[in-house]
Amino acid sequence: MDVFNLIQSNLLTPIILFFLFGIIAARIKSDLKIPEAISEFLPIYLLAAIGLHGGIEMRKTGFEEMLVPMLVAIGLSLLFTLNHYQILRRLGKFNIFDSYALASTYGAVGAVTFSVGLSFLKNQGVTSEGYLAAILAVLEPVAFILAIFLTNMAISKQIRTKKQSFSGDKVSDIDMGMKETKTKISQVLKESITGKAIVILLGSIVIGYIIGEEGFEPISIVFDDLFTGAIVIFMIEMGIIAGQRLEDIKKVGIFLTSFAIIMPTINGIIGVLVSTALGLSLGGAVMFGLLLASASFIAAPAVLRHAIPQANPSLYITSALGITFPYNIIVLLPIMFTVSTWVHGEGSIDLFNYVTKVFI
Amino acid sequence: MKLYDVKLLTITCEILAQKNVIDILKNHEITGYTSYEVDGNGEKGLRGQGILSEKNVKVEVIMREEKLSAVVEDISRTLFPDFTIILYVSDVGVVRTEKF
Repeated sequence: MDVFNLIQSNLLTPIILFFLFGIIAARIKSDLKIPEAISEFLPIYLLAAIGLHGGIEMRKTGFEEMLVPMLVAIGLSLLFTLNHYQILRRLGKFNIFDSYALASTYGAVGAVTFSVGLSFLKNQGVTSEGYLAAILAVLEPVAFILAIFLTNMAISKQIRTKKQSFSGDKVSDIDMGMKETKTKISQVLKESITGKAIVILLGSIVIGYIIGEEGFEPISIVFDDLFTGAIVIFMIEMGIIAGQRLEDIKKVGIFLTSFAIIMPTINGIIGVLVSTALGLSLGGAVMFGLLLASASFIAAPAVLRHAIPQANPSLYITSALGITFPYNIIVLLPIMFTVSTWVHGEGSIDLFNYVTKVFI
Repeated sequence: MKLYDVKLLTITCEILAQKNVIDILKNHEITGYTSYEVDGNGEKGLRGQGILSEKNVKVEVIMREEKLSAVVEDISRTLFPDFTIILYVSDVGVVRTEKF
């Protein structure tokens, strides 16, 4: 199946149709909305289901396999975040705060995108490695921590130069400012590790690991059979939010709009190729690519609003949710699936095994 | 009944600034406050009707006049530039002044 057919058939899946429906509902100013409690509950449910599956799979495969892909994912995520920053700052001429906030939003991962990816693979009849759920958990804070660290470095550098020029009389103010930046990082670290997304994800991975396949049996009706249905309901909400933000896209500008489409494509395809070289399966490589392609829009505002309050939140929320998310689930997933099928095809697999043997 | 004059500080802000506000209150040794979720319209458009991070909260704090200006100054200096925030002060009367 070529990539356009795949995109076309992906468009007609319930997940995408309900997302588009949500956008339309918001555009015609319908009062349709998913009750708040449910839209807060669904991400928790999705993460629990992802974690349980990951844990069960990890029980089968063990931990050793996961180490290299995880370290590579962390490395790539950091590298991409730095790369995003340079592009946004130099080419996009964004200020330092917006650049770091956007860079980390795009370096971070999106759990909802991940869920959609899993059900996309299910649709295609392909499985993926369970330990990717653990990588999702580990990757979540990485890009933010880097961006916050670098932002604070830049701020203290500015303060230091100011201090030199003033010399003396304003020292107490400056010292206070320095102290504030230092405490920020440890706070963010603590908050993101104890944040609900990581806690429920890691907790479910551990529980999934303990209970294994047999223990999962009695609860599989909730955490397996209902998974895609739950995403569909969440997609209505996502569509409504994206639809409400459609006007804001104009404010985002052409540069950021193209950034929000081009960067995920590049990152995702690099992810697919690298993970294939690491020996991940067809589906695993797609999910690995999706991890690197996705932008965070649920965790990002909560983290960045505290850590880099100077950045304009409507920039990073609108571009991640209004542009990158729909692009990722509608267009990029089929593209990465095609790329992954291609590099996993006969012949090329030998090439990649060869590359793996020689270089790693 | 005798009522004592104290100040009521009301802060309406985006929910993500709530923690900062409460931290500032804590720095001034004020631990009592009441907060509730609200929605409304303003400079930043309709707020409080979308995702969780777009909610607004209203924080109400009763305090003695002596502390008021330092608290308001702190909030204005650290939060006004970056957050959606409205702050106002009113005079209220309480029965048990020792609680504040």
